[in-house]
Amino acid sequence: MVSFFGLALDALNYTSVLLLVCVGLVVIFGLMQVINLAHGEFFLLGAYTVLVAQGVGVPFWLCVPLAFVTVGLVGLLCDAAILRFIYDRPVDTILATWGLSLAIRQAIVIVFGPQSQQVAAPLTEPVQLFGVAYSSYRLVVILIAILVALAVFLVLYRTSIGLAARAAMANRQMAQCLGINMRRLDRSTFSVGAGLAGLSGAVMAPLMSVDPQMGMGFVLPAFLSILVGGVGSPAGAIWGSVVIGSSTTLVSAWWTPVIAQIVVFLLAIVTIRFLPSGLSGLRSK
Amino acid sequence: MTLRLLPTLAVWAVLAVLPMLLGPWELAMFGQLLIYGIAAMSLAFIWGQGGLVSFGQALFFGAGAYAMSLTSKGMLPGIPDSPWLGLLLAVVAGAVFGGLIGAALFFGKGLRTAYFGIITIAAAVIAERVTTNWRYIGGFNGLLDVPPLPLPGGLDSADPFAGYLLVLGFALLAFLFLLAVERSPYGTVLRGIRCDERRIMSLGFFVPLWKVLALAISGGVAGLAGGLFATQFSFVSPAVIGLALSTEILIWAAVGGKAVLLAAFVGAIIVKYMESYLSETIGNYWLLVTGIAFIAVVVLFPQGLLGRFFALPQPRRLRRD
Repeated sequence: MVSFFGLALDALNYTSVLLLVCVGLVVIFGLMQVINLAHGEFFLLGAYTVLVAQGVGVPFWLCVPLAFVTVGLVGLLCDAAILRFIYDRPVDTILATWGLSLAIRQAIVIVFGPQSQQVAAPLTEPVQLFGVAYSSYRLVVILIAILVALAVFLVLYRTSIGLAARAAMANRQMAQCLGINMRRLDRSTFSVGAGLAGLSGAVMAPLMSVDPQMGMGFVLPAFLSILVGGVGSPAGAIWGSVVIGSSTTLVSAWWTPVIAQIVVFLLAIVTIRFLPSGLSGLRSK
Repeated sequence: MTLRLLPTLAVWAVLAVLPMLLGPWELAMFGQLLIYGIAAMSLAFIWGQGGLVSFGQALFFGAGAYAMSLTSKGMLPGIPDSPWLGLLLAVVAGAVFGGLIGAALFFGKGLRTAYFGIITIAAAVIAERVTTNWRYIGGFNGLLDVPPLPLPGGLDSADPFAGYLLVLGFALLAFLFLLAVERSPYGTVLRGIRCDERRIMSLGFFVPLWKVLALAISGGVAGLAGGLFATQFSFVSPAVIGLALSTEILIWAAVGGKAVLLAAFVGAIIVKYMESYLSETIGNYWLLVTGIAFIAVVVLFPQGLLGRFFALPQPRRLRRD
């Protein structure tokens, strides 16, 4: 039974990390209908921001907001230079962000080299929880994920900006007619979404080896999560990450991580196939 | 009217006289470029005509390459170890994979086009994982010593001259086949589906079936390219089935021009040729440059750089007099 709690905590940890990545994706996709394939590279940039900042002596807890701001600015730049020209061509946004992801990843390889590097974790002491010793930093990650998701939902559902954003999600043209400045909304959405990816990269950096390929491993499960959960509602991201996160952890405990990835991806594809509007589409039926 | 045919004819004429101009080593390299060109044409067909952006075109390419290698090495029980049979099975494998994925995604409620991209990415990742961990088909190292295709007169396709002409012949065949499909009434329906699926549906066409068929055709041609790849490089590894090659194929087709088959074909040849030269001198910067060039093409030239140059006139039955 000891390992049961350990497994549950692992599942919760992976779920919360996925949720953290998903929140940024779902904000961008929900509002702008842009499938941002560069999200994994924004994650990557967040992790490398921590690497650089820690190298010059910035304490870890300052690095996290710094990563949010830095990557948010990168997002702003990408929006200004590339995306604003192609918002009306949905397929081209997929392609352009795909090109962007290639370029960013390769730029990282050129600047930092292809090898993996380590970021020092701020908390190393394990804590006793339900009779298992568990990494205290992983618990902090869970907490951060919940807080960030909560903050995004509060903004979406309790502020006037959030109201405008939800209006844009429901019907862009109507929202525009009501005098919402869509250009400004898109710009800030993309920038905040990118910043959230950077934040998750920064938070995850101490838990994994920081290398140029680390983004892809998260962005694909995150995409499948929001599709499984249903892109129609932001809450779908939560359901999706719970399903994908916990099933991946369970299957990889049973067999191996490789089999887990194959099985979970296949299951996700089947789910998306039969429930095009995701799990949250079940309720509205 | 014939003026617009000229660039197309010129390309094939130049490719046909290349054996007289190049040495054996360069000729072998050009033969390989043609194989990539076939793969780019297969994507241009499904993307430019059907409007389906496949981020996992290497899945079909790789299926063909593995089918070719397994057959010609005699690793499939009950099937004789003939390279030519292998090439046939490569086409079949690509088409079957394309058809299966299409059938799984398009029938019933169907899938939004944007999701199709993400699912093909996931499918390519799964394929790479499976081949890397499947020991019988070589695992991470892949399969070595894939035999060449035997040709009449005691030659085989490992000979640079004969190998080049063989690949060129298949490239021309693939081009003419896809062009015929594109210009047939079926191709017209396919372009209609790209523009407005619902309208074509209400005109009485069963759209899912037509899309599955298109993906099977594209998969079959990509499988042919994969089979030729396996025999000309004489090895196959998980790298030919995964995301990296899929991305490359996507870039070739986008840079050349997705709506015109020959533009994608020439795009692949030019990009890959530049890569073999420039990656030696500018090394790591090559991928950065291709990424940025890809973005620029997507934003500024949605029809590709060569699309207008190689565009052919409309089929006669669609012309207004």
